[in-house]
Amino acid sequence: MSEKEAKGVESEYLFGLVKEMYGDRLGPDELEEVRKGVERIVETSKELRAVKLGNWDEPFSVFRPYRKEE
Amino acid sequence: MFPVELAEIFLDRLERLGPRYNTVVTVTRERALREAREAEEEISSGRCRGPLHGIPYGVKDLIATSGGIPTTWGAAPFRDQTFEHDATVVNRLGEAGAVLSAKLAMIELAGGMGYRQPNASFTGPPRNPWNPERWTGGSSSGSGAAVAGGFVPFAIGSETWGSILSPANNCGVTGLRPTYGRVSRQGAMALCWTLDKLGPLCLTADDCGLVLEAIAGVDPKDPTTIERPFKYVAKPPEGEFRLAVLKGAAEGAEEGMGANFERALGVLERVASVEEIEFPGLPYEAITRTILSAEAASAFDEFTESGRAAELTAPEDHYGPYARTVVLAKDYLKALRLRALMAKAADEAMEPYDAVVAPTRRGVASPIDIEFRKVSPGMTSDVMGAVGNGAGLPAISVPNGFDEDGLPTGIQFMGRAYDENVILAIARTYQSLTDWHQRHPQDLTP
Repeated sequence: MSEKEAKGVESEYLFGLVKEMYGDRLGPDELEEVRKGVERIVETSKELRAVKLGNWDEPFSVFRPYRKEE
Repeated sequence: MFPVELAEIFLDRLERLGPRYNTVVTVTRERALREAREAEEEISSGRCRGPLHGIPYGVKDLIATSGGIPTTWGAAPFRDQTFEHDATVVNRLGEAGAVLSAKLAMIELAGGMGYRQPNASFTGPPRNPWNPERWTGGSSSGSGAAVAGGFVPFAIGSETWGSILSPANNCGVTGLRPTYGRVSRQGAMALCWTLDKLGPLCLTADDCGLVLEAIAGVDPKDPTTIERPFKYVAKPPEGEFRLAVLKGAAEGAEEGMGANFERALGVLERVASVEEIEFPGLPYEAITRTILSAEAASAFDEFTESGRAAELTAPEDHYGPYARTVVLAKDYLKALRLRALMAKAADEAMEPYDAVVAPTRRGVASPIDIEFRKVSPGMTSDVMGAVGNGAGLPAISVPNGFDEDGLPTGIQFMGRAYDENVILAIARTYQSLTDWHQRHPQDLTP
């Protein structure tokens, strides 16, 4: 499967999910706009996925266990 | 002039002129006069709290205020929302003696639903004081317009991506986006927890510095605030400033924007060296866009599920929140991992310089009744905004001229993290060499 086809499949699956969850509250024109929105999100994700990271490259956020001040 | 008299002048302008421009949600007359009287008594008895004592101001209406004053988030579904407490930024300005005079209009939910045209506030499309048929920029629309129109001396706005700099550009005022964590967001509507910043819009860089000094500082109620005290000291360097122009940052700019940017660089070369740089190749906009989409989807999850987006003003906001509900967790985390590379790459590229300089936007204020993409097709790229907001860097926009239709243009200086004093010094120096910040809309000049 080409990258373009894979992208299309991913968009369709994700759009299908949105349609399943929220389709009853959206008109045909609105659904079409949502489809375009999902395609843009998949497009953006592909840009991120194209960058290779090392296993050690951590998210830029620090989790600290919480304990109430005593 | 004494605080009560000053407050009356600005309250009158807010009430009389604000509605003409859809700038104001609520004029807080009663509270303003109470605070002004308190300021007057203190100053008269010899206790002056500082440069903001007795000075009226307004806040973007996503900042919580107590006393039954609504905090509407610019959105019809929240038009009756009230809070029991004041946001930290309001408390800090109160401690500085400033006088809260208005809750200012904004794009509904800070633009987080994906609006595409100016009519996206329940208070009506925000009109530009330089030309009411043009847009103010957003989402801190009223904060920019109220300062430009002389309805308040300064205002507080917020920026997730572009929401302080855009109205600063369109309204011809000075807008400062502080470093992420410099100013507490406690009491402010959350759009994206790791991107939201509060900052001032004023007439001058000096005013922005003074306001930032009043509102900055660690806040136990906002764990993202940083333990770095800020005192405004706009001291120029011993030698000249070192500025970098991001390659391609002015490409595709409208004619007036581009010409004024070049002219501004000419002025800056009297006090600065100017070199062109490039940021290393990373998908900057994809990184920040993905963080924004995922966090906004979560922040507004209950709202989205409730179906109340259908009550918003902009038709495109009715369906805007749905697509991003399917951003994958692995892509959000990838964006957060890439953010670390982005922050380091940007800091390394910027280390030899005091600031990166670029036109604030590619274009001037667009017509009030036309979709943005129809006015400026293909002008959506914003690497400076993606890097600046994604990496949490400070930036200031100052007016640098007008286009042939008399609409203001802006130039931005983006600094390294925590370098607000450096970019304020550059902006202040630029304003000492030009008078764009001293020009005001003729129709609104007393």
